[in-house]
Amino acid sequence: MSAAHADTIPVRVVAIEQVTPQIRHFTLEPIAGGDLPAFSGGSHIIVVMRGAQRDYRNPYSLMSSPNELGNYQISVLRVDPSRGGSAFMHDQVRVGSELEIAHPVNLFALAKLARKHLLLAGGIGITPFMAQLHDLRATNVPYELHYATRSPAHGAYCELLASVEPRRIRLYHDSNRHFIDFESLLAGQPLGTHVYVCGPAGMITRVLDTARALGWPDSHVHYEKFAAPPTGDAFDAYLQQSGIEVHVQGDQSLLEAIEAAGVDAPYLCRGGVCGFCRTEVVAVDGELLHNDHFLSADEKASGKLIMPCVSRAHCRKLVLNL
Amino acid sequence: MLITGIRSKPVYAPLQPDLSGRYHIMVGHGVGAAPLARLLGDLATAAPTALERTRVWYVNDPAAPQSNAEAFRAAKVAQLRTFGGVDPLLADLTAAMDQALMGTRLYVAGPESFMGLVMRIAHEFNLAGDEVRAEECGTLARRVHCIHCRATIENVRTNIVECGCGRWLVVRDHYSRRLAAYMGVMVDAEVPGERPEIKEVFL
Repeated sequence: MSAAHADTIPVRVVAIEQVTPQIRHFTLEPIAGGDLPAFSGGSHIIVVMRGAQRDYRNPYSLMSSPNELGNYQISVLRVDPSRGGSAFMHDQVRVGSELEIAHPVNLFALAKLARKHLLLAGGIGITPFMAQLHDLRATNVPYELHYATRSPAHGAYCELLASVEPRRIRLYHDSNRHFIDFESLLAGQPLGTHVYVCGPAGMITRVLDTARALGWPDSHVHYEKFAAPPTGDAFDAYLQQSGIEVHVQGDQSLLEAIEAAGVDAPYLCRGGVCGFCRTEVVAVDGELLHNDHFLSADEKASGKLIMPCVSRAHCRKLVLNL
Repeated sequence: MLITGIRSKPVYAPLQPDLSGRYHIMVGHGVGAAPLARLLGDLATAAPTALERTRVWYVNDPAAPQSNAEAFRAAKVAQLRTFGGVDPLLADLTAAMDQALMGTRLYVAGPESFMGLVMRIAHEFNLAGDEVRAEECGTLARRVHCIHCRATIENVRTNIVECGCGRWLVVRDHYSRRLAAYMGVMVDAEVPGERPEIKEVFL
């Protein structure tokens, strides 16, 4: 249905590195050989994992240089408890394993006309910036990366980054009680700066709130949040156009259940931010549980729209125009 | 003949204070003093301390009523800079913008051609639409860019204008923010010498 994921690309895992106790770094090469599709820093791919019980489709930021397309590199944080995807990548995938990936999509692109880029990373949120740094090094536009981790041991890529660009990079470790001072950082940026934040939900919220309070216009504030779809109660969904009834399990997202039923529903980010999977609600005999960051408060209150990638319902039956 | 309905023609609106901003830069020319005086009054009413973070740049125009200029000169802003011409103001404003911080709002009032030049600076500093407000007042005379020889003609009041390169140009509504000018296109390219009547339209 949507061109962006009509075709997946078969890839082989050619290297795995345990970067921190929770983070594994994967190098993926196309099984067909040659180059993978070109991308820009900030892009992510969807990795399709064929699990024993069901398929998983998780988004991961591309970390490698956009100039080198012989392979893609991603990092996967083991989430505890995992809904399945990150555990699959950590426990099942070996060097030589074959996976499928969807074409890269960039929902976190650098603003081309910015006079300065301010990059704020928390933990695994460093990943999109790793590729963007390659793009930024090729420009004359000033940039700074502020990277916070729980401790030096949790800081994937800290040493690499600090050795490459000591002038432009500042590291912070919670274990040293050293935190990013968002207030003073955002208060002192020159006109025309764009800020980008990727990290835990709390960090993103603090940056957005601080920026707004300091008069930053929304157009200069960028964030990427790959929220795993929250779990909940099981319910049934009826896809009116397809005439299919699907059962959504408690640990399964609505989108995943729709896909498992063989319906090719649209999606891009699978994190509730891009709006691509927005679907009309025809009827619901309960309450919609909105978990996305795309629909406006009014749209959520209307009960007429849902984003199946992260949102679900507390009901017996949900009818969708799909 | 003007080829209207072109979406690049800028849209203006009466200036209102944007209280989400932390710093305010106001720029005016001649009759732009009146909207600036009104804006300063509104800002002082809504957020009295905001004037301490407000700076004003203004070009004196002997043709404009002076009473308006006196009105905003009385406002207790952090800085008021006045100039006898547009170019020195633009140079000074550019230097100030280079030192300005995120959270700044830009307000412009004056003739359209002047606002275009200020907006061009705003674009160079990557100010987004939600950081800039503009109110048109005074003459609608246009800056026209000859698309053939790339010269700029100031103060054009007529629908057809002769460029220094010898071509007669029709002034379109097609506006370039980068050039801060409307596009002028040769009017008699197909039939040399066959030109519509020249009328004063930008008054």
